[in-house]
Amino acid sequence: MPTRYAFSIDLDRCIGCQACVISCQAGNELKDDETYIHVGEQIRGSGKTLWGSFDHHRCFHCADAPCVAACPTGTLSKWNGLTIVEKEKCSACGYCTDACPFKVPHIVDNHVSKCVACLDQVKEGQAPWCARTCPSQAIHFGERETILAEARAKVAALKARHPNAQIYGETQLGGLGLLMILLDKPEVYGLPLDPKAPETMKVWQSVVQPASSGLSVLAAGAMGLMFVFARRQHGKERAEHERAAKQKAALQTAQPKATETHHD
Amino acid sequence: MTSVTLAPTAPETAAGPETHLVRRYVPAQQVIHWIGVISFFLLLLTGVALLFPPLSFLAKGGTSGVIHRIGAIAFILLPALYLLRMPRKALELVRESFTYGREELAWFKHMPGYFLGSTRNLPPQGRLNAGQKLHHAATFLMFNTVTLSGLIMWFGKGQLGPEGLSAVVIVHDISMLGLSVAMIGHVYFTFLYGALSGMVTGKVSEDAPNGT
Ligand code: HEM
Repeated sequence: MPTRYAFSIDLDRCIGCQACVISCQAGNELKDDETYIHVGEQIRGSGKTLWGSFDHHRCFHCADAPCVAACPTGTLSKWNGLTIVEKEKCSACGYCTDACPFKVPHIVDNHVSKCVACLDQVKEGQAPWCARTCPSQAIHFGERETILAEARAKVAALKARHPNAQIYGETQLGGLGLLMILLDKPEVYGLPLDPKAPETMKVWQSVVQPASSGLSVLAAGAMGLMFVFARRQHGKERAEHERAAKQKAALQTAQPKATETHHD
Repeated sequence: MTSVTLAPTAPETAAGPETHLVRRYVPAQQVIHWIGVISFFLLLLTGVALLFPPLSFLAKGGTSGVIHRIGAIAFILLPALYLLRMPRKALELVRESFTYGREELAWFKHMPGYFLGSTRNLPPQGRLNAGQKLHHAATFLMFNTVTLSGLIMWFGKGQLGPEGLSAVVIVHDISMLGLSVAMIGHVYFTFLYGALSGMVTGKVSEDAPNGT
């Protein structure tokens, strides 16, 4: 049984300090204008009803990741529950930017830009940079089962203060590899309740793509075989035709007058 | 794009040295034809790199995407180039391609034989035979679908969403399949009936096509 890793982000603990953003940029040696994590805020009401929360926009590491399904070059793939990136394979086609129901991947400098799960660190048994840096311990990383159990306990504790508190990502798209502990309903954070890869994506990937390359090759093969036969037939007819023409010409030179009268 | 298959409708007679050659294409038509060939195959190769996983290494780094766009510009501008450079010839081609009469119906009856290399008993045709007309109509249709879907992908990327992207790519892929099959047929008849020289020298033997 391979490990299934996951992140969790506790929006109750997040203080919006952006330390995760910076450490991610530094650790992954990103340019100043490239980030894998966006930390924003949600504010509602005013005075006594004022409500606020930070929110994080970053890769959810879906189990059934539509970006992985759409990626034609194998740049995006799944590894132990994480959606990993092999940038050097990327063709910048941008299919992932449209396929992702969360609009996470972007094209930057001719390659895909999204969380790479700090794969090198994880393979060495370390947590990704964001989880290691967070000063308020809002970001956790580990085996998904452990992370999920932790998140459930946290939500249970939150219910007293935030009755709508819940985990986002337990079941969506085969279970997300990033569980978000929300203080309110997903709609409030602009998160889709039931993100899905539409049927048309499956039709494209599993029917249209193989059928169009397969049928093209089949057509070329069939025409190739037919060519051998058809070329022979055409040669035969041409030879017949030439023979007839020669005969006619010979007849004409031999007795030009006679043929003429014949034809009259 | 200007896919004028030069498939003679009567058997080539006595193709000896005494055969008279007549000019069927002016040099500008030949140039446009070969730009079309080059851009089509560039588009096909760089497109298939995304369609057929074993070839995906060709797409590494994004250069293939740039070539696809350069090819696309040439491909899209071809009909306009034809129309501007030779308005009369271009319009004539369109008019001829979409004119069907009784001879065409008669020709279709002999189509299976024509596919198999037999031109015996073929009814006489105009400059274009009925099969070519069909081919032109299909190419015209799929030129438009491949171009429209391609431009939507090019300029709409990131705003299409999963449904939009897959719908557009499906149209693009099916058009690619259709154009490829049409291209295979085009090459097939060109070599079956020895018509390549028409687009290389611009000349064909006098008795090959009817009504030139
Ligand atoms: C005429 C204008 C055309 C335009 C503007 C166009 C544009 C595009 C674009 C934007 C893509 C997405 C990948 C990328 O961004 O690089 C694409 C993919 C593709 N194109 Fe084109 N294209 C055109 C014509 C053609 C033609 C003539 C063919 C083949 C005969 C073709 C075959 C393909 C294929 C096979 C794909 C991959 C589709 C997939 O991943 O399922 N394209 N094209």
